[in-house]
Amino acid sequence: MSRSRAFETLVLPHLDSAYNLARWLLRNEHAADDAVQEASLRALRYVDSLRGDDARPWLLGIVRNTCFSMLQRSRQGLQTVEFDEAEFDAAMMVEAEPAHADPLLQLQRKRMRVQIDAAILALSPPLREVIVLRELEELEYAQIASIAGVPIGTVMSRLSRAREKLRAALTKTYSGPTP
Amino acid sequence: MNPDDDELSALIREHATRHAAPNTLRGSLRAQLALADVAHSAAPAAKPARRGAPWLVFGWRQAAAGFALGIACTLLAPVLWQHVGPGEPFEDRLVAEHVRALRSGPLFEVASSDRHTVKPWFQGRIDYAPPVHDFGADGFALLGARVERFDGQPLATLVYARDRHMIDLVIAPRDAAAAAPRALVRRGFNVLHWSDGAMAYWAVSDVERAELERFQRRWAREAAGR
Repeated sequence: MSRSRAFETLVLPHLDSAYNLARWLLRNEHAADDAVQEASLRALRYVDSLRGDDARPWLLGIVRNTCFSMLQRSRQGLQTVEFDEAEFDAAMMVEAEPAHADPLLQLQRKRMRVQIDAAILALSPPLREVIVLRELEELEYAQIASIAGVPIGTVMSRLSRAREKLRAALTKTYSGPTP
Repeated sequence: MNPDDDELSALIREHATRHAAPNTLRGSLRAQLALADVAHSAAPAAKPARRGAPWLVFGWRQAAAGFALGIACTLLAPVLWQHVGPGEPFEDRLVAEHVRALRSGPLFEVASSDRHTVKPWFQGRIDYAPPVHDFGADGFALLGARVERFDGQPLATLVYARDRHMIDLVIAPRDAAAAAPRALVRRGFNVLHWSDGAMAYWAVSDVERAELERFQRRWAREAAGR
């Protein structure tokens, strides 16, 4: 298969998934851009390694590996970000501008999005990875295991740890700031 | 053991942001592939039997590029006219041209890293002789050149690759005092403008501003050394 054809049929349909994963893992749009470019070109080089399998988990596996080696290179990703209250408040203010029909509903939805995004971003990369693959990309445990290169049991335990942390973070924000 | 938590899952699935790939990413990936293809066909003697007859590949690419250009002209002309009307600042039009070249090509009309190929190529296409340099050894590889029309005036555009990024360098003749580099940002792209008295330069790219300034210094050093 020619590279251009492989690109159109194997990479392009999954580019949103690839970018979404990279964007969540690297937490930066420029880095995500670079990672997806690098991963896509790498994928096209190893296009023969894909033997009738589903192209999406295959591509996501390459994106994931690219992201983790970028994180390792920059040595900044392995710690989680501190929760920056000022930044969070600023985001809430920006998000709080009502736009459409039902301003109150709109506002609630935006707040919810900011809170949930912040909670996911605060997870460590391995936990964030399983959440994004499971909840946003809706992949099977076995697919996640092969993407992350770990046993299914590890995927399940990471998922439950990640959910525990998310529940704790969301409960905290729901009940408001403690005095 | 089922670690799923339906309530939390529903919450995340409904509210968490799904980041869609930006169109510029699609465009630059296509550009990367075009570059790779060009690099591939630049050394056909090394592996002649790999992808069939070189003229066949070339013919196909020519046809595709021609087709893409045709489509781009037809589709984008009204759009560009609307967004990039004559009243708009020159820098905005530079960036629009850069994006258009990345998205739909051609990235360059002559593909060569040899200034002795690129420089004569401009003859008859524009009415001045722009300087041409290749800085491949410093990480700014000359890929080729094209001619862009601004307000009806054809201007030389040199195309450089910096890692996976493209730099367009637009050169216009200008009899004015030299001007120090001035940086600005348009639609996320960095634009660096300077003048050396004989020519005015605009470098346009999505590389970091510091990289673009490095490119400018390299260019100025080359110009001063002659």
